[in-house]
Amino acid sequence: MTQKPAAFVAIILGCAVVLALAPLILPPFYVRVGQLMLYSAGLAVAWTILGGFAGYASFGHAAFIGVGAFAAGLVEERLTGLPPALLLPIGMLVGGLACAILSAAVAYPILRLRGTFFAIAMLGVCHVCAELNNNIDVLQGSLGLNFPAVAPAAWDPAVFFYELYLAAGVVVFLIAWQIQRSRFGAGLLSIREDEDTARMLGVPTERYKRIAFVASAVLTGLLGVIYAHSLGYITTDSVYRDDTNLSLIVYSLLGGMGTLFGPVIGAFMLVFITQVVLARLLDFHLFATGLLLVLLVLAAPGGVLGLVKSWKLRRRAAATAPAE
Amino acid sequence: MSVHSKKATRRRVMSALGAAALAAPAIRSAHAQAKTIVFGGSVPLTGAAAETGLNVNNGYITAVSYFNDVLGGVEIAGEKYKLELKLFDDASDPARATTLIQRQIDEGTNFFLGSFGSNIVLPTAAITERAKKPMVQTGGGSDAIFTKGFKYVFGMYPRATRQFASTAALFKTLTPTPQTYSVIWTNDAFSKTAGQGVKLSCDAAGFKKLDEFELPAKPTDVSSVLGSVRANTPDLLVCVMHDQDSLLIARQMVASNTNVKCLFQGLGPQLASFREALGKYSEYLMCSTYWDESVPYKDKFFGDSRKFVEYYKTKFTRPIAYHTAGAAACIETYILAMQAAKSTNPEAVRDALSKADYETFYSRIKFTPDGDGDAIIMGSMIGQVQKTKLEIVFPEAASSAKALYPQPTWDKKA
Amino acid sequence: MNLIIQTLADGLVLGGIYALAAVGFSLIFGVLHVINLSHGILVLLGAYLALILSTTLRIDPLLTMPAVMAVLFVVGYAYQRLLIQRAVDRSPLGSMLLTFGVALMLQNTMIWVFSPDMKSITPGYALASFKLGAISFDAVRVSCLLASLVMLCCLAALLKFSALGRVIRATAQQTLAARLCGVNVRHVYALTFAVSAAFAGASGIVIGIILPFSPADEGTWTLNAFVVVVLGGVGSPAGALIGGLLLGIVSTLTAQYIGPSFPNVTMFLLLVLLLLVRPQGLLGNAFAPSR
Repeated sequence: MTQKPAAFVAIILGCAVVLALAPLILPPFYVRVGQLMLYSAGLAVAWTILGGFAGYASFGHAAFIGVGAFAAGLVEERLTGLPPALLLPIGMLVGGLACAILSAAVAYPILRLRGTFFAIAMLGVCHVCAELNNNIDVLQGSLGLNFPAVAPAAWDPAVFFYELYLAAGVVVFLIAWQIQRSRFGAGLLSIREDEDTARMLGVPTERYKRIAFVASAVLTGLLGVIYAHSLGYITTDSVYRDDTNLSLIVYSLLGGMGTLFGPVIGAFMLVFITQVVLARLLDFHLFATGLLLVLLVLAAPGGVLGLVKSWKLRRRAAATAPAE
Repeated sequence: MSVHSKKATRRRVMSALGAAALAAPAIRSAHAQAKTIVFGGSVPLTGAAAETGLNVNNGYITAVSYFNDVLGGVEIAGEKYKLELKLFDDASDPARATTLIQRQIDEGTNFFLGSFGSNIVLPTAAITERAKKPMVQTGGGSDAIFTKGFKYVFGMYPRATRQFASTAALFKTLTPTPQTYSVIWTNDAFSKTAGQGVKLSCDAAGFKKLDEFELPAKPTDVSSVLGSVRANTPDLLVCVMHDQDSLLIARQMVASNTNVKCLFQGLGPQLASFREALGKYSEYLMCSTYWDESVPYKDKFFGDSRKFVEYYKTKFTRPIAYHTAGAAACIETYILAMQAAKSTNPEAVRDALSKADYETFYSRIKFTPDGDGDAIIMGSMIGQVQKTKLEIVFPEAASSAKALYPQPTWDKKA
Repeated sequence: MNLIIQTLADGLVLGGIYALAAVGFSLIFGVLHVINLSHGILVLLGAYLALILSTTLRIDPLLTMPAVMAVLFVVGYAYQRLLIQRAVDRSPLGSMLLTFGVALMLQNTMIWVFSPDMKSITPGYALASFKLGAISFDAVRVSCLLASLVMLCCLAALLKFSALGRVIRATAQQTLAARLCGVNVRHVYALTFAVSAAFAGASGIVIGIILPFSPADEGTWTLNAFVVVVLGGVGSPAGALIGGLLLGIVSTLTAQYIGPSFPNVTMFLLLVLLLLVRPQGLLGNAFAPSR
């Protein structure tokens, strides 16, 4: 990154303020779409800390959404006496902690796998969590779990959760940005490019991967806790979704794999397309979504940022060619 | 000059188009308020619940086109209205369902029809509740929906734990009286609560429980469970799960020659495709059904249930299911409530719905104070497959045949 | 004692069918290094074709196998040449997403064409059973198992002895070397895909006979194939067989002794554990030595 850090943070916070004011003029439907965009973008950036920076593409991050959400919900259910303003922070703490423990526990063995095998193993982890959650009665996965209404009475819950997602999204984004520009981030990049060489050159690859994995999982879990509160009632099927697992990869591919802005752009675009453009298709929307994926892979394998980059290169080539 | 004027015209056309595009939704909603009543909501037309989703969707279409084409619209407080459906596919994704419900509320839709599965119905109902728009739905029976204190949500079925009361009552009337039962359910919110309901009702009726089995949400093999059933055979085997899983159990019971005196499947035998797939072996199987062509109710619009079916057959070739009739009844219930309220104001309609006591081709319509269907009036009837047809065997008022018990063993049916 | 033997027998029968359903997936993974998320769709396509053929021609569904396999062979060949080939040498994620997109489109198309209803194929012997000592067997499951084993042997022989099989194996082991020796790699890729699709179709017939199916089930069969391949190892019919049988036995044993709702838990637990202990599968990797 060539920008000055202070300027960069200022720009991001400026954008955030503009976005925060948006619900004042947006109709309620677009506030909901905005919620979903910010939530998806947050997830996509959290995913990219591991999948984009370190090149360990997880196919099972919905596990952390689910574990975070259910851990928070089960604890909050036992604390009904407390004011709602306290419940959400407690829930997030619990959810984040649960994800930290789970990810730390599986990190060591599972990060020995690479490429597709890592992706598949994460899918396995996600399904094991989902099945256990569904089949152990105290975890209430199949009967469903209610979440307390945490929005202050004066606020429209839709706007409240919009702002909450926005705040969480900005935090996730800034954390990812800090990671990217740090020595740690450079280490992750070296792992993505050539892990064995990186290790030979003295990069503590194991430790770096594990930290990235846990960070990514905890941030995902926190977003999952907010998501569950915004729905108010969840079953296993609401959070452990294979289409979420897949969407997280699609966001990065659509925007640009391994970049910081790519996942955000990808998430915004895909949510807009599926929720606004394709929304009215009654028995056609699966087909349209599938077609979109196919076209994406065939036409823009580098994502939107990849297209922009190649366009810039071509223009530069065109500009320099006549001078020679 | 020509260049200039061309540009100017183009700009003018563009701005005119832009203005039209901006104005279009406004015009349409104004139009909707004047003459049409819009019903919004979602149905799952893809994903695991798609089969029932299609049945429900067909029911909505049948009702709306009957009211519009055959009756020429409905009269409410002296004014004629046409009906319009605006549904979308939620693909069983709660995020998608909640976002798109909001869009319909923004667009001025006042009346909602429900989706399938409590994890979709509840979050969407929370939004319509907040907007004070009623929702009458056929797809969410879990207790969770009706114990949240929602005032605008109505269900066409009793809540899941109460759905089995009438079946237990039927079991009591069989001779020789059955003594024991076992219950199997799959692990999803609906079937699991229904399983609890089976235990509550059967225990209350004095039957002894031998075993209970919980299957995964999508079982592919039940031979181990059937082994346990053979080792410890109950008089009544009750399965509460979705149609596809019921078929799997029935087929494996035949193949492994697992016999009980009565096999009762909550969902399954009511579908023509299920009976076809099992052939002769579907004889004597029992199931819950909420409606049948032969029910005796009179209807002020359709006449009766046979006439409803006749009209349905002019529109669709797909065999009719009780979900189709239930869905059509949702719309009819709305119309009756609007006529009773003499208004299309959503809050007035909600009040009328809560006081509803109507007779429709589908059943008598009466809701509990919590919004679910009255357990006795809108509770399930019991069907039994007899000579490849589904006959109603309980309650007596609606029955078309007598319940046959005990069922013969599978090898005698061949 | 009888209970455990019965459980094992049920597991083996189920496992043989899992194996056939997974072998095509395994072959594509082994040769093209593509994770074919539309595998389940190909399986279902086989089931629907068999249903249509056997009811219109009034023949035993297992007899429709040659026709179904031929159709799917052509479909698979075209699918690879027209779509997959364009993404095959890029990132594995890209090709995986491509197949997922296709799966979504085809699932939607199937809903239009075949309706979302559950269907089942019911041959005359669908509900018969026989006893061997105290162990009872489901006739249809056993005949499906036999069909599966025969098909797996055919595929193994094809790969081992035929010229096509040699070329496929060569391409899988050293794509570049094979190309240098004059192998038309694109053609081989497409043929591999075609063979895999044909076997997916064959397994679809078998599955359609023993289980009710609907378009929404495609994910289940893709996922099952995934697990089988990871258990048994990539690219070989023997690996798929071992993986399938293991999965079948583990499922029925769990259902019997832990609880009927737990087979999926043990299935995925086994998947994760095995990936950690032996990422190359129980039989090792039949083709490429390290991947």
